[in-house]
Amino acid sequence: MAAVAAPLPPESRALTYCVHKWSSYSSSYIPENILVDKPHDQSSRWSSESNYPPQYLILKLERPAIVQSITFGKYEKTHVCNMKKFKVYGGMSEENMTELLSSGLKNDYNKETFTLKHKIDDQMFPCRFVKIVPLMSWGPSFNFSIWYAELHGIDEPDVVQPCLNWYSKYREQEAIRLCLKHFRQHNYTEAFESLQKKTKIALEHPMLTELHDKLVLKGDFDACEELIEKAVDDGLFNQYISQQEYKPRWTQIIPQSSKGDGEDNRPGMRGGHQMVIDVQTETVYLFGGWDGTQDLADFWAYTVKENQWTCISRDTEKENGPSARSCHKMCIDTTRRQIYTLGRYLDSSVRNSKSLKSDFYRYDIDTNKWTLLSEDTSTDGGPKLVFDHQMCMDSEKHMIYTFGGRILTCNGNVDDSRTNEPQFSGLFAYHCSANTWKLLREDSCNAGPEDVQSRIGHCMLFHTKNRCLYVFGGQRSKTYLNDFFSYDVDSDHVEIISDGTKKDSGMVPMTGFTQRATIDPELNEIHVLSGLSKDKDKREENVRNSFWIYDIARNNWSCVYKNDQSIKDNPNKGLQEEEPCPRFAHQLVYDDMHKVHYLFGGNPGKSCSPKMRLDDFWSLKLCRPSKEYLLRHCRYLIRRHRFEEKAQADPLSALKYLQNDLYVTVDHSNAEETKEFQLLAQALFKSSSDFIPLGFSDVDQIYAQRTLLFDTLVNFFPDTMTPPKGNLVDLITL
Amino acid sequence: FETNIMPTSTFKNKLVMMLCCKFCESSLCARGMRAVLLADTDIELYSTDIPPTRAVDFVGNCYSTESCKCKIKDIACLKCGNVVGYHVVIPCKPCLLSCNNGHFWMFHSQVICAVNRLDPAGVELLLWGNLSDTEAEEEDDDSLCEEECIR
Repeated sequence: MAAVAAPLPPESRALTYCVHKWSSYSSSYIPENILVDKPHDQSSRWSSESNYPPQYLILKLERPAIVQSITFGKYEKTHVCNMKKFKVYGGMSEENMTELLSSGLKNDYNKETFTLKHKIDDQMFPCRFVKIVPLMSWGPSFNFSIWYAELHGIDEPDVVQPCLNWYSKYREQEAIRLCLKHFRQHNYTEAFESLQKKTKIALEHPMLTELHDKLVLKGDFDACEELIEKAVDDGLFNQYISQQEYKPRWTQIIPQSSKGDGEDNRPGMRGGHQMVIDVQTETVYLFGGWDGTQDLADFWAYTVKENQWTCISRDTEKENGPSARSCHKMCIDTTRRQIYTLGRYLDSSVRNSKSLKSDFYRYDIDTNKWTLLSEDTSTDGGPKLVFDHQMCMDSEKHMIYTFGGRILTCNGNVDDSRTNEPQFSGLFAYHCSANTWKLLREDSCNAGPEDVQSRIGHCMLFHTKNRCLYVFGGQRSKTYLNDFFSYDVDSDHVEIISDGTKKDSGMVPMTGFTQRATIDPELNEIHVLSGLSKDKDKREENVRNSFWIYDIARNNWSCVYKNDQSIKDNPNKGLQEEEPCPRFAHQLVYDDMHKVHYLFGGNPGKSCSPKMRLDDFWSLKLCRPSKEYLLRHCRYLIRRHRFEEKAQADPLSALKYLQNDLYVTVDHSNAEETKEFQLLAQALFKSSSDFIPLGFSDVDQIYAQRTLLFDTLVNFFPDTMTPPKGNLVDLITL
Repeated sequence: FETNIMPTSTFKNKLVMMLCCKFCESSLCARGMRAVLLADTDIELYSTDIPPTRAVDFVGNCYSTESCKCKIKDIACLKCGNVVGYHVVIPCKPCLLSCNNGHFWMFHSQVICAVNRLDPAGVELLLWGNLSDTEAEEEDDDSLCEEECIR
């Protein structure tokens, strides 16, 4: 056999097509222009009439082909109408297409070629139609243009015909599986058996056939529970778990107080303070802040294991450390066990050439000593005195990066508004062992490809694995910024992730909110807690906490939760609060080893009591359902159903079952589930059922409801094991 | 930066023009003024005072030309995406001190179709002196935004 050489697959070549359909076009930019490649002619392109979705072109191939790649030609210059994001779909009919590609073009004059998906399970499939769907242009407010598109692939009938045969067989197989599912759901046993016998197509994994047999046919619920338990043990639910969203769990931390003098044992109310965490020792350090009337200089450590605050110093200035301050920044070098602090806010009344110095301190945890690294970093080539900047530690290379913040200046009372324009600090690197500063980026008023725009109140995070800084949010005077970029510290390269202009503003979620962010390099995620909107009008209306996760690899944001609860004093205020109220000037740190966030204090922004600051302390864990939770939940579902069956047949034994077997599977700490459980007893007194018979089949209520439960349970198993997700009857449209 | 080599009062007698994109014919601005470049009076332009944000948007980065130190940024027609002019982001001192019409939005004459506008009665050509200062967008003030630092 080995002596028989397989013929080489034929070469990929340009495929002939015509433009079949289009969403729109504007002025003379007709769809057919994409057939010719004239990079010198700005008018030789298709341009949509609007950028309102859906915008698309459908290309029809001369004959069915395996479409392997698509090449886009462009204009000789950059052009804002180039597609920054687009998708390509393909199929044998225009009604039924699958996604072949999701990508974007660079905004340059080079042709770009993309490989298209052309195989399912290692088998090539043919297309007759290809649909190009632009999703975003380089200038987000502009229309979409395609200058030239070329399709490459194989259209030799010798190759395509077998693929067509396979493709139709594949579709047939999936159709048969849908029929099998339908027949079984409707108890057309003979039809089911004869179709299966004839085609030998499996509806599902044998384990699920067994589950169906035990649950739906036999009603052997104990066996079902065993089967589910085994599946959970074998890790079959892991795929399901990994696809679930996080749920936030806030817990207010009530620290241990060692002696009677309560108030002195923990940090008082404040905003504009700083916190860092040493994940190795699980210790949170807190320094300074503003208590509503004055700056603070107290320095605290909270140990998670002991659940206790320790005051390291009541006044760091007395120990040769920094003076009282707020709106400064702190970072920790967990390797060398050192903490750095830079910057502060100074009230305009106390600003003078003497006070406007950017002092820079280091605290050594083990020796409990402060060192003044610089009296004024601006004289060392570092930043001027700034506040609301960001600072990140790179322990590996012993570097600190600081970016943004507003530069404090003496108010010379000059009437010329231009001299009073706020100035912002650029991106600096501090080499810790050499004690030297380097300016990496100046504040550029408009961002070029390698420029960055300075700001205040933004987020900056250092990813220790890919060694990039991630920056987003913040504001410049009254303008809220919602761009998002990364800076590779080793290659000195800026990458714009989202330019934050109108159209994709949805991508960076928290414009105008005083957000706090953390990073988890291992999970490759950025976490953002949005606080209060600084916009007064918005604040009064819909104040919410919201928590967002940015998946760095997938480049997408998801909202984990939003709190609709208004902070307008609600009557339940006296009761234990379930989560921190929205606020600003608070601090959030993250222990990426134990996956816990810690939040302390802040300014609740109450216009009636402007001096009010908070001293509450919270931990936040993001949880996905555990195996144990899912097992219990499945048990609950099975037993609830079993109870309902019993309630119809034998109410007395059903009641017992409810009080014992079912009761133990309920999560009584879950209010929703508890309520549902309490309502279950109603089934005991229900005589008439609301069962709608299934058309022509003889399926009774029990069979139908068991089938429903079966479909629910099957959802926890991986897709490769389950029957098709869809239902045959859903293909019928009215 | 552009100017008219006339005393300031003369701007009042200039015609108000309707400006359209030559590439795609979309309307860009209803308050255009014919002008010349300060640094090179051979170059004709159209200018306007109120940001034409409904019709154009910024493209590319800030830059300066050889003629002066004004920082400018290109603007492109929202419909076709082609560059139709520029916005003076930060004017340079010599330009500011020279006689100028106070307009910071410029359109290149070779990519613009310009049509004179008529007065509300539809009789006379509309002059800048007869044009009302349209609703300058009111800045929403907000006590907290005004504050320098929130802590």
